[in-house]
Amino acid sequence: MLGRVLKMAVLTLLAYLLQATTAQYISVWDVAPNIALALIAVVTVGLGAKYSLLMSLAVGYLMEIMLAGVQFFNLVLYPVSAMLGALVFADKSERKLEELRAQGKDTRQLHPHLRTPLCAMVSILVFEFVHVIYIYLAGVDLDSGHIGRALVDVVYTMLLAGLFQFPVRAWLGIYRQNRLNREKDR
Amino acid sequence: MKLKVPKTERRKSKDSKAKRILRIVLVGFVVVLVVGLVGLHLVSTIFGNESLGFGDQLVTRVVTPAQEGFSTVVDWVVDRLYQLKLYSRLELEYNNLRQENEQLVYRAMLADELQYKLSVYENLYDEISVNESMNPLVATVIGREAGNYFSVFTINKGSNDGVKEFMAVTMDGALVGYTYDVTATKSLVRTIIDSEASIAGLISSTRDQGTVRGTLGIDGRAMCRMYYLPEDHLPRPGDVVVTSGVGMSFPKGIPIGKVKESTRGMESNKQYIVVEPQADFQHVEYVIVLRYQPTAGDVESQGLDDLDLALVPLETAAPVPTIQIGSDFYQLAPTPEPTETPVPSETPAPGETPDPEATPAPTPAPSDNGEGGVEYQVPGGITDNSYGFTLAPTATPTPTPPPLDMTVEEE
Repeated sequence: MLGRVLKMAVLTLLAYLLQATTAQYISVWDVAPNIALALIAVVTVGLGAKYSLLMSLAVGYLMEIMLAGVQFFNLVLYPVSAMLGALVFADKSERKLEELRAQGKDTRQLHPHLRTPLCAMVSILVFEFVHVIYIYLAGVDLDSGHIGRALVDVVYTMLLAGLFQFPVRAWLGIYRQNRLNREKDR
Repeated sequence: MKLKVPKTERRKSKDSKAKRILRIVLVGFVVVLVVGLVGLHLVSTIFGNESLGFGDQLVTRVVTPAQEGFSTVVDWVVDRLYQLKLYSRLELEYNNLRQENEQLVYRAMLADELQYKLSVYENLYDEISVNESMNPLVATVIGREAGNYFSVFTINKGSNDGVKEFMAVTMDGALVGYTYDVTATKSLVRTIIDSEASIAGLISSTRDQGTVRGTLGIDGRAMCRMYYLPEDHLPRPGDVVVTSGVGMSFPKGIPIGKVKESTRGMESNKQYIVVEPQADFQHVEYVIVLRYQPTAGDVESQGLDDLDLALVPLETAAPVPTIQIGSDFYQLAPTPEPTETPVPSETPAPGETPDPEATPAPTPAPSDNGEGGVEYQVPGGITDNSYGFTLAPTATPTPTPPPLDMTVEEE
């Protein structure tokens, strides 16, 4: 347990540092990806909404106090984006699944490796949408360039989430835990 | 009956309970920490209470060194990756630059060649412009025989272009040679340094005439010698030798070269002066053929120029004074002793003074380019003081003495 908490702390710090220092170097067509949201999406699908909330809140807080562009923007937007992604694509607990089964609802879930980029897509869509709306309200005339850059960011972040999920899930021990659960079920 | 739980199971249960407590404490601590920090930040920001911002300062103090170190590592990695990318493209860039360099060198050579040609054409144009009356024709040297005894070359113009034998060939305002063996499409040019070449020339300062011959076959030097000069003049080094226009259909005044040394004073059979040709025979590429054909008038006037004629004024209407031949011009013959003093009334009245119009006008001095013949003009672009030679002035006509000063002879 202690190990997982420590790993989460390191991952949170790493997400912030990568976003703050590395993202600019791997930009495509001058569009930098959102590495932090990609990692949050991996945690959301792998560990659940609570870890996701905690991580996104910490990343948002770090972004707020270290790289504040607009006050409270990152502090609010990161947790909100992560939670909206988690609402749809986070792993559901057994209790939740039982409740759904009792209600006669479909409890089938997509494969986690597929849900991770989709979760990142939802998060980054919300993130970009809020930014576009903000600059529009600030008096900037929106054009196809803004939309195109936002779409490039969405696709790029999705790809990164799909790429990061394998090493991050392995490092967090999610694959081993799933294997143990399967053996226990047998 | 109470079942006895094995010791290992009891320890396991106790461990899991402790772990659960630890987990709750740990997670609670983290949640409280994060939420507390966020809350403190919100409160301090919203209410402007800086004393509550200690959490932010603490986190900043911890994160900043970590971010600094991470940023350094990232920058280092990015630099290495950039260098790797650069090295991988180095060979490609090198080949591209080398190819570009070769193209630039070729263009520079082409530009130099074109610039040289332009300067040559400018010189040719200047020379043609000032000697248009001599019907000049630009020709290209297409072959050369530069042996130890003969110096001839072939030009790409022949009789189809109006070239005939023994026409002067010039370059850069200096005589190169003359044409011979003219065919329809090409001509041979014998240079003035060729042993077979023989051209009439004169020294511009003294007007001494002689014959210029090449020395290539004599001593192997690309020089000329001038023979048959009068013995009473000693040319100075640096004097310009030009064509005299005698003999071949050469225009008069084409610079041949400069006097370099003189052997005058030695044995009579070795009396000649060495003339250094003005033309650069090592770099003959384009020449001008002067298709000048002297007319009969030119020849006649040219001959008259060479004669040393004394100009005699025409008879005037006034009585002719007796001038003693051989005496000074203005010294009149002694007046004979008069037997009778002439009557003053017989003295011619001023009105009877002969009309000055009857006095013969002095003959105008012939100009350099006068009607007496066509003379080669050295183009102005070619700067050499020796080119600006002038003909020796013709003797001034003897003035007629004024009639009033004359002594009238009585019959």
